[in-house]
Amino acid sequence: MKTTVIGAYPKISDEHQDLRRALHRHDRGELDADGLAGVLNESTRWAIGELDWVGVDVINDGQVRWDDMLAPFARAWEGCDRGPLERFYDNNTYFRQPVISGPITTDGKTLVRDFEFARGVARGQLKAAVCGPLTFATLAEDRHYRSLEDRTLAVADAIAAEIRGLGAAGATLVDVEEPALVAHPEHFAIARAAIERLAAAGVPLALQTYFFPADPLLDALAAFPVAQIGVDVRSRETHVLDKLNTLRQTVVLGIVDARNTRVETERELVGLIEAALKRIPAEYLWLAPTTGLEYLPHDVAVQKLRALVTAAHAAGGVKA
Amino acid sequence: MSDQVLLTTTVGSFGKPDYLQKARNANARGKLGETELTELERRATEEWIRRQERLDLDILVDGEMYRGDMVAYFAERLEGFRLGGLVRSYGNRYYHKPIIASPVRRPKPMTVEWFRFTQSLTDRPVKGMLTGPYTLLDWSYNEAYRTRRDAALALAEVVRQEAEDLQAAGARYIQIDEPAIHARPEEIDIAIEAMGVVTQNLTAKTISHICYGDFAAIYPKVLELPVDQLDLAMANYGYRWLKLFDRDRFTKELAIGIVDVHSHETESVATAAEGIRKGLRYVSKERLLPHPDCGLKTRTVEESEEKCRVVVEATKVVRTELARQATPAKTAR
Repeated sequence: MKTTVIGAYPKISDEHQDLRRALHRHDRGELDADGLAGVLNESTRWAIGELDWVGVDVINDGQVRWDDMLAPFARAWEGCDRGPLERFYDNNTYFRQPVISGPITTDGKTLVRDFEFARGVARGQLKAAVCGPLTFATLAEDRHYRSLEDRTLAVADAIAAEIRGLGAAGATLVDVEEPALVAHPEHFAIARAAIERLAAAGVPLALQTYFFPADPLLDALAAFPVAQIGVDVRSRETHVLDKLNTLRQTVVLGIVDARNTRVETERELVGLIEAALKRIPAEYLWLAPTTGLEYLPHDVAVQKLRALVTAAHAAGGVKA
Repeated sequence: MSDQVLLTTTVGSFGKPDYLQKARNANARGKLGETELTELERRATEEWIRRQERLDLDILVDGEMYRGDMVAYFAERLEGFRLGGLVRSYGNRYYHKPIIASPVRRPKPMTVEWFRFTQSLTDRPVKGMLTGPYTLLDWSYNEAYRTRRDAALALAEVVRQEAEDLQAAGARYIQIDEPAIHARPEEIDIAIEAMGVVTQNLTAKTISHICYGDFAAIYPKVLELPVDQLDLAMANYGYRWLKLFDRDRFTKELAIGIVDVHSHETESVATAAEGIRKGLRYVSKERLLPHPDCGLKTRTVEESEEKCRVVVEATKVVRTELARQATPAKTAR
């Protein structure tokens, strides 16, 4: 059983606000692009250092440079701009809505520099992450493509190019963050066609669903061509835990609620892990927060990670 | 004002003047006392009342010079809440997201003194301004209550106490904002039930502001929210929500957002007036209230003022048109 994280890590803490100050200074013209890039590197180092230090087995780069999950792509891709602020699902967190004005194209190198930087910093195993095609397509304003399917598949081709770029840079696992799939289960056929294009890039994928229960999709998810499926079994009413054996992939089990400050007890977490182990063998089980930890204040995010790692060791019979 | 149509209003907050922003920062750093800060907040409030009168707005607000975040303000004054560490809202904006740590209780009124002070400055009506129970819940972490419904109903009780105190202090309009109401459309029954607790004993006109989200997902169910008036962002959405009213008739008073609040530039008077005309296709002139899309606290004083000016000018253009349309009909009789 490995522990891992999903999505963005808090970019600052009450004590460590270098990035916040640097962005303010950059906005006011007091800090140039190079100066800001330096602070972004330092903040990435800080996030990765914390994830390593807490003892998470497989980490990401904390997505310190990501304004929101769609931003890196909306910024880099041709045919796409950043539009007005919109609420990000049921969070009091906002994203810039991408506006698609022409055919989407990319050189596939949007995330390569960041991944290479993070690999130079991380001590343990590092994975990459991309925005899920259905999530991007359902949240964007489309002035070019004719249908949700056309739009999703065009986005999928661009993301597949990004995954190829990451693979060439050495990535061996890429999270595909796809909350739209569980938010809109009715679109699962489109999502699956999109994920097939991503899988063709040849890098193992982890399809991360979150914010909503995966119950209605469990059978469908089993047929997705990915190495791992992430499901939230903690933050919403769900019976997914009882049906984990439906899935054929490794399960990334979201057991600490990344959207509530109450820190789970070891007993609660071990209970969830043991329930999962009744359905699937330990080598097919990874443990994670339910979504990105950036929805929590930094101090609580650290406590949640500690709870996760400690519970994983306790359930696995390893001394923490 | 009583026979006026298309009464103009605003959503609640205005840009804070530089001297107040600096004073708030100094207060946060412990370098300025509460008494001095309050004095400056009162000065800024009075300035905004004078500006609103000069602009000729009909229903005024205190501008929330003494508030930062619309949930944290109440969380800081209610027992049971504590403020958590910083959480990012978007871009480089962070806030201290409140935590409901134990059962909530209102030790004393939270906004009534400000309402009394503001209303004493003007003969025009001033709205009492509250954040609704569902939004207080949704924008906080809930550690104290077993279910979200339990938490929403407990919060509704403290908001009810505040609303009734505002009414007793003379408020004729009480606005209970629910911008989070469509966060989880499947929970709208909870929001409706909680609002029912708040407004059950009120005779004042009740209003709820809703913005930033998928309004279509809660329409027409949201018409069951027990308030007299819904206050909706429309300009930012290209008035797309009005199309919903073709299918299911809109049955409340509508405060209609006719200028976007998140841009530095303001729409022309002609564009804003067109927004009012769109609204008039669905709601009568007696029940339609033009205003900016949302609170103006993210704008400067000058930008806030300019957006209000466009709202009032556009309203006057449309009022003149309506008067002209009415006159020939009378002479024909």
